[in-house]
Amino acid sequence: MVRQYKYEPHLFRRYKEERDYFSFLSGILAQDPDPISQLSREITDITVERYDQIMQYAEEGKPFIAGYFCAAPEIYEAMDLPWYMIMATPFLAASAPYLLGDIDGAEAMGLGTDWCTACRLSLYYIEAELTPKPWALIGLIHPCDAGNLLHQSVARNQKWRDVPIFATDPPYFEDQRSIDYFAGELRRMVAFLEEHTGHKLDLDRLREVCIESNKQYELWAEYAQLRRAVPCPHGWGIGGPQCFAAVQVFQTGKPRGTQWLRNLLANTEQRVKEGVGTIPNEKIRYFWFDLLPFGWVFEFLPWLEEEWGAVMVMEMFGFTPYTPIDIRNEDTIFKGLAKRNLYDSPMVRQARGPADYFAADIVRVVKDYNIDCVIWPGHMGHKDGSASTGIMREICNELGVPYIHIGLDLFDKRYTTPDECKDKVSKFFSAMGLG
Amino acid sequence: MKSQVLQQFQEATRSLVNPELQKWKDQGGRVLGCYCSYIPEEVITAAGCVPFRMRGTGSTSTELADACVSLINCSFIRHSLDLGLRGEYSFLDGCAWVNSCDHVRRIYDHWKRKIDTPFVHLLSLPKKVTEPQVEWYREEISLFKDRLGFHLGVFISDERLWKAIRLHNETRQLQRQLYELRKRKDPPITGAETLAVMVAGTAMPRQEYNELLRELLDDLSRAEGHTDYRARIMLIGGILDDPRYIDVIEDQGGLVVTDSLCFGSRTMWRDVDENASDPVTALARYYIADRPSCPRMFGDHLRRSAFVKDMIRDFNVDGVIAERLVMCDNWTGEQFMLGEDLKETGFPYIRLDREYLLTGVGQLRTRVQAFLEMMGR
Repeated sequence: MVRQYKYEPHLFRRYKEERDYFSFLSGILAQDPDPISQLSREITDITVERYDQIMQYAEEGKPFIAGYFCAAPEIYEAMDLPWYMIMATPFLAASAPYLLGDIDGAEAMGLGTDWCTACRLSLYYIEAELTPKPWALIGLIHPCDAGNLLHQSVARNQKWRDVPIFATDPPYFEDQRSIDYFAGELRRMVAFLEEHTGHKLDLDRLREVCIESNKQYELWAEYAQLRRAVPCPHGWGIGGPQCFAAVQVFQTGKPRGTQWLRNLLANTEQRVKEGVGTIPNEKIRYFWFDLLPFGWVFEFLPWLEEEWGAVMVMEMFGFTPYTPIDIRNEDTIFKGLAKRNLYDSPMVRQARGPADYFAADIVRVVKDYNIDCVIWPGHMGHKDGSASTGIMREICNELGVPYIHIGLDLFDKRYTTPDECKDKVSKFFSAMGLG
Repeated sequence: MKSQVLQQFQEATRSLVNPELQKWKDQGGRVLGCYCSYIPEEVITAAGCVPFRMRGTGSTSTELADACVSLINCSFIRHSLDLGLRGEYSFLDGCAWVNSCDHVRRIYDHWKRKIDTPFVHLLSLPKKVTEPQVEWYREEISLFKDRLGFHLGVFISDERLWKAIRLHNETRQLQRQLYELRKRKDPPITGAETLAVMVAGTAMPRQEYNELLRELLDDLSRAEGHTDYRARIMLIGGILDDPRYIDVIEDQGGLVVTDSLCFGSRTMWRDVDENASDPVTALARYYIADRPSCPRMFGDHLRRSAFVKDMIRDFNVDGVIAERLVMCDNWTGEQFMLGEDLKETGFPYIRLDREYLLTGVGQLRTRVQAFLEMMGR
């Protein structure tokens, strides 16, 4: 049954603040003629437009949903359902000045402090009425326990009990039976969305979206190849995370996103041809095997470049193999989406199943990207990854590449402060004779 | 209470290999480790093996495991993996996992790389409880059955499976009889003693265990009950296998009369349907949809919460203590949600963090005392 949606303007207070923040950022970037700033500006413009679209749909009483990048955003696009993540603030606006206060707010709610900060924050925003309420919620029960329990907590939250929720169940291993099963889960997700939003899935439209998104993945893969160059054409500030944002979140299957990737590629090719690196004197090429430390990124990653000549050549969201979706018929499309979302999608790919993915990705990145060291940040929420640390270290030992496990919170800089991280990494670089 | 059988059960919790299990091994019997209560133990029994619930009993340090995992991983996996790395689990003929949680599923990765156990297997356990998941798990159980049977050279027929199901159901029924006694105003058995009985059931040949449990029930029917308590407590949480933890609670006057624990009621509150069309489907339905679920099961919180509320009513509980291992996200979330549910009814509820080995006894004592006082007991 299609839900009767009630527009509640007060739930958009924080959402508007974040839209304004990105709008401000776009304004600043617009003044900088540097091509990389312009590439970044395009992404922030797109981000602002996405915020505006959700607000407009809410005001006009049109269906919009909350969903996830690893739950087939191609389907949301094909169903004309704008979507946002309830984890948007920790992922997009984690450097906002209110973040630490919000983390304290989550703690005051009684949420366990060893529970992933991104999850705690997301639940806090719902309880504090700082998140728009969608027509329907696609929850996430993989790759981690924290996410699963977050969405269960959202489902039982008094303020969101009227929001219908569905989550796709993830099989553990990678084989055809698992792909078939997950394709079935995606079909059940479509039925759920049709029931609760009234929007129907048009297979031809889904095919168009998949064709366009295949192009996007191809361009992304090409871009990832170019980052092998020495010196690396781009650093932490542009690359994988923006490709991810464009392809899997804001511009899935949209020509504008495809064009942005072409522009990125053109810039990168030019730099590689000219031998221009992201910094003048690249000394250390590191693989940052996680999300960026969103909450304090500006206090740490620029320092690595300036102090050590250390360049983030690859990170978790920039490197994942992508399989094009076979668009021949409905069956192949759903199976293609299942494979992409289970086994290709970054973070989900590594964290959902056996630790072999962590090992295999390290081997490939280290070999292909001429990596000098692997940094496992060890985010406090990524328990499965940190439980794989011994395997990652052993793989690095076999490859003869130094490995460090820091132990930090990607969102809360009070957990391990930027200065402590700098100290740890400096000692590591020195001890390994890097830089 | 004084009962020879009870002592036998209690001794079984103090070491990994108890005399009954040793006897089984000495006679050439095989033992298969199980890392979670969602592993269909009936299949293992049908294969002629003893299913053994993995623990960290006897571990005193985690140096070897710490090289594999990290300090943000729970102390249960660090201790049990450490024992494995030290060869303390060399008595196992195999070991099975499900992807229970982010911590336990990684033991599988380390185990298969570092520990020489003849058979290792992980069943992909769904995280939802509806029909497609029952069907998925049916296939998983079937694959497990075939692979284990092939490894052991045993054909696990439907007949063998039904026999095993009946045997395990018998265990569940006997254990429920034990819990039934705890509903009394003067329960003849404490919570710590009950946990010992339950843990022992996961470490002994099942037939022998059932016989011993029948003897214990007989002893208890003649035993005097406990009346010298301040409050009747329900204990909720994950993998708690050390009765001494409950001893600390009960020493303060909080008699644990029921639970929702991995070694407790969740494993036996329902039976596998013996009238189902085939045994593998019956097992899949039991593990996915019928038995009281673990917090990792999405979409089932209301049923879990109702289970707790029913227990509170049926066992005349005065307060709920929810314990969890530090770093456990599943139980962090469940403790929070359950706390909110009970808050809505105004029922006394406290959350406690603990490590796998019994530490911080003073703090535990203080918190339990405060909780009992808060309840006016």
